[in-house]
Amino acid sequence: MEELAGRFWHHFVTRQTCSDHTAASVDLAGLLQPLTLYYRALGGSPARQIAPADPRRMNIERTLAQRIAGTHGKLMLSWQDEQGVYLPPTIACFPKRELNEALYFWLAALSSRLPVVKHWVADNLQASAVLLHRYPGLVTIYRKLVDATITMETSTYHVNISEFDCKPELIELLQNPEDSNPGLTIANDHPVPVPLWFYPPPTREASVGVDDDPDSDQTMTRKVFRLPNIRKKASRVDDRKETDGLLVFQLESLFSWTEHVQLDRCQEENLDEDITSAAKDLDIITLSRQRKASGAKINFDLDLPSPQNDDLPVGDGIKLPEWNYKKQELVSDFCLLQPMLSDTSTPCALPEHLQHLAQRLIPHFSALQLTRRWHKRQPVGDDIDLDGWLDSVCEPVQSPERHTCYKAKTAQARDLACLLLADLSLSTDTLVSDGQRVIEVIRDTLLLFSEAMNHTKDRLAIYGFSSVKNKHIRYHLLKNFPEPYSDDTRGRIMAVRPGYYTRLGAAIRQSCNVLNQQGSEQRLLLIISDGKPNDIDQYEGRYGIEDTRHAVIEARQQGIIPFCITIDSDANTYLPYLFGHNGYAVVQDASRLPLLLPQLYLQLTTTNHHS
Amino acid sequence: MTADTYYLPQGNEVDIFQRAAKNHLPVLIKGPTGCGKTRFVHHMAGILGRNIHTVACHDDLTATDLVGRHLIGAEGTYWQDGPLTRAVREGAICYLDEVVEARKDTTVVLHPLSDYRRVLPIERTGELVEAHEDFMLVISYNPGYQNIMKGLKPSTRQRFVGLSFNYPNAEQETAIIQKETGITQVVAERLVKLGHDLRRLKDHGLEESASTRLLIYTAMMINDGLSEKEACLSCLAEPLTDDAQTLTAIRRLIEAHFGCRK
Repeated sequence: MEELAGRFWHHFVTRQTCSDHTAASVDLAGLLQPLTLYYRALGGSPARQIAPADPRRMNIERTLAQRIAGTHGKLMLSWQDEQGVYLPPTIACFPKRELNEALYFWLAALSSRLPVVKHWVADNLQASAVLLHRYPGLVTIYRKLVDATITMETSTYHVNISEFDCKPELIELLQNPEDSNPGLTIANDHPVPVPLWFYPPPTREASVGVDDDPDSDQTMTRKVFRLPNIRKKASRVDDRKETDGLLVFQLESLFSWTEHVQLDRCQEENLDEDITSAAKDLDIITLSRQRKASGAKINFDLDLPSPQNDDLPVGDGIKLPEWNYKKQELVSDFCLLQPMLSDTSTPCALPEHLQHLAQRLIPHFSALQLTRRWHKRQPVGDDIDLDGWLDSVCEPVQSPERHTCYKAKTAQARDLACLLLADLSLSTDTLVSDGQRVIEVIRDTLLLFSEAMNHTKDRLAIYGFSSVKNKHIRYHLLKNFPEPYSDDTRGRIMAVRPGYYTRLGAAIRQSCNVLNQQGSEQRLLLIISDGKPNDIDQYEGRYGIEDTRHAVIEARQQGIIPFCITIDSDANTYLPYLFGHNGYAVVQDASRLPLLLPQLYLQLTTTNHHS
Repeated sequence: MTADTYYLPQGNEVDIFQRAAKNHLPVLIKGPTGCGKTRFVHHMAGILGRNIHTVACHDDLTATDLVGRHLIGAEGTYWQDGPLTRAVREGAICYLDEVVEARKDTTVVLHPLSDYRRVLPIERTGELVEAHEDFMLVISYNPGYQNIMKGLKPSTRQRFVGLSFNYPNAEQETAIIQKETGITQVVAERLVKLGHDLRRLKDHGLEESASTRLLIYTAMMINDGLSEKEACLSCLAEPLTDDAQTLTAIRRLIEAHFGCRK
């Protein structure tokens, strides 16, 4: 009863303060792809992703009703930084669906012209003016949006600007962005939320890096939680001092507090159960510098195994360069790649559940040994070779042999080396739909593919990779080019385990080096991945993407054909930039990967699709 | 071909081509579709006053198709020169369009013609045709297509003077569209801006970018009275993609340039 009354009160009181036009609401998720394309066409940086923003605490005066209802403490603001453009997950502030949708496209267009916002009035006005000047078609829709904004009713995450003191100036500025003297009359410190504009990023980027070395600990399989589609602010605190912990002084001298309380909560129980909703409730997620702490329960448990338990390192490691997009230079010898060979694997046969699949695939691959093409002047064949016939007729001395006047489709050898590079990072430990883990799917794929390839003359090598920062890139040899496919190879593939991160650029560079030693006419680099390149140092977001892209470009320059197969459903947003339009394939149902990869290989390497 | 085939030079390609012609060197032209490769060759043929024999290459094209074959006539068999042989004999330009589509062994027939020898051995008749003084070999292809089994043999590539083409810059493209269609400068400029924006989508949603040729087609339709927005939709958006989401984005883009729904 109490709950019912509470719910009723909540509905009643929020209705007094908000009017969402739910019937006209538009979701970002449905528009993400066109918005991204639109943003890029207008000149937005291809490395930035469009993502949903999070409601954000605003320092505005609330009316009594709003305070009673507890609404409008947080508002939905659009913002952007180096990595991405963050737009409201839903827009329902205008009564017409058309307008709400147009607002999304306006925001995407505006962000393409905006730097990271410093002055909320001046920057937005300037960018609007430039945009309207360059795209005269936008003027009509801009006017409509401004009119709608001025007359807008306050909704859950948007506030009517008439509630602010600077309303007349603001309306004036909104209506004439071209000829306004950039909002110098309005101070920068108390931004008014205008749905049409972008705002400065919420907090400074956490600049304190994670710095404790991953200490040896047994690897535990932990659940990975994913937040549903929203962007959280992050800050990182320096909690290394052992004396830190409790604040011991008189409480009266406390000036303020933030949500970070320096308590050591390692032993807190049941954190797993509600960790996602806890993360959702927090405005700022504070990350500890010590990854052993409770925060480790979310994701940071990637400690290296002790040398006894680890695979056998081969050699002293290989130094490789890395592309730093901020400096726009290839930093030589930045990465240390360690080839690894499993010494604990036991040779084994092909698992039973794959045997019938392999039997189905092998005929296709046997036929692939040679490419089929027309051969002329054959004594027998499928079609008449007119030239051959004419020649034999024109011949002054008729040979007693049979006329060779047919053409036949026969096979001819080809020269192709393929290196399969599999992502073995910890993210492959997650589950796919039917209870299988990604790593198991990858394992099956590798086994089935090498089984099929064993029946062609194409040469195959298989490597896996993972990484912990730039000085430890693990490059697992599963099968090299000269080695025959055998029980040993299968044993090594069966022994792959997920771990660590994805420094894709270095792995690609090393794979290219291996491929180049082959001297084949065609060299194909197939990459199996399950997500974006990332690592725990600066190798994430744009840095990782730019480095990988650079490695792919280098590969192309060396005459290697890189191709990426991914099971990441978000891959359409970044893979085209990495591998080009024809350079990748997204597998929607990961469990089908083992069968799809061989098919894809056939499709990629067969010249005559109709044959 | 006549000298009045309109072509607006983007750089020093005309000069390079003329020098290559003077020194009997073959030319390789690469560039995206619809950027003016074929138009350039025709323009140069006009300037040099030579005929042009064009062969559109495909993967069943054989050396016979280029060199020639025996045919049967009323009085028995006779030899018929192929386009390449004809060009070699009469001193014309032989233009092999999209040469990567042809099989690699076919293009080997070009080798003796594309180095200092400048001869074409005709195996069937035993004839060794020495190239006419004015004979010139020109090949072109679009490096954007990705099929791992296709591509030029390095030994073929290394016999050519290379010219890389791209879409012309905004001013030149505006001038080209105006000249080709007679459309007003304002519309031409807007079309070029739209084309420029669409080209940013290459590899992000579009396999190929909006070519100068497509922009010219759009301008033609506008000139004929079709509304700007409709012309852009049917001549730019639809030919570029089948994907509904990409079409939505392009439609919005067109609206940003040419006004939106009332």
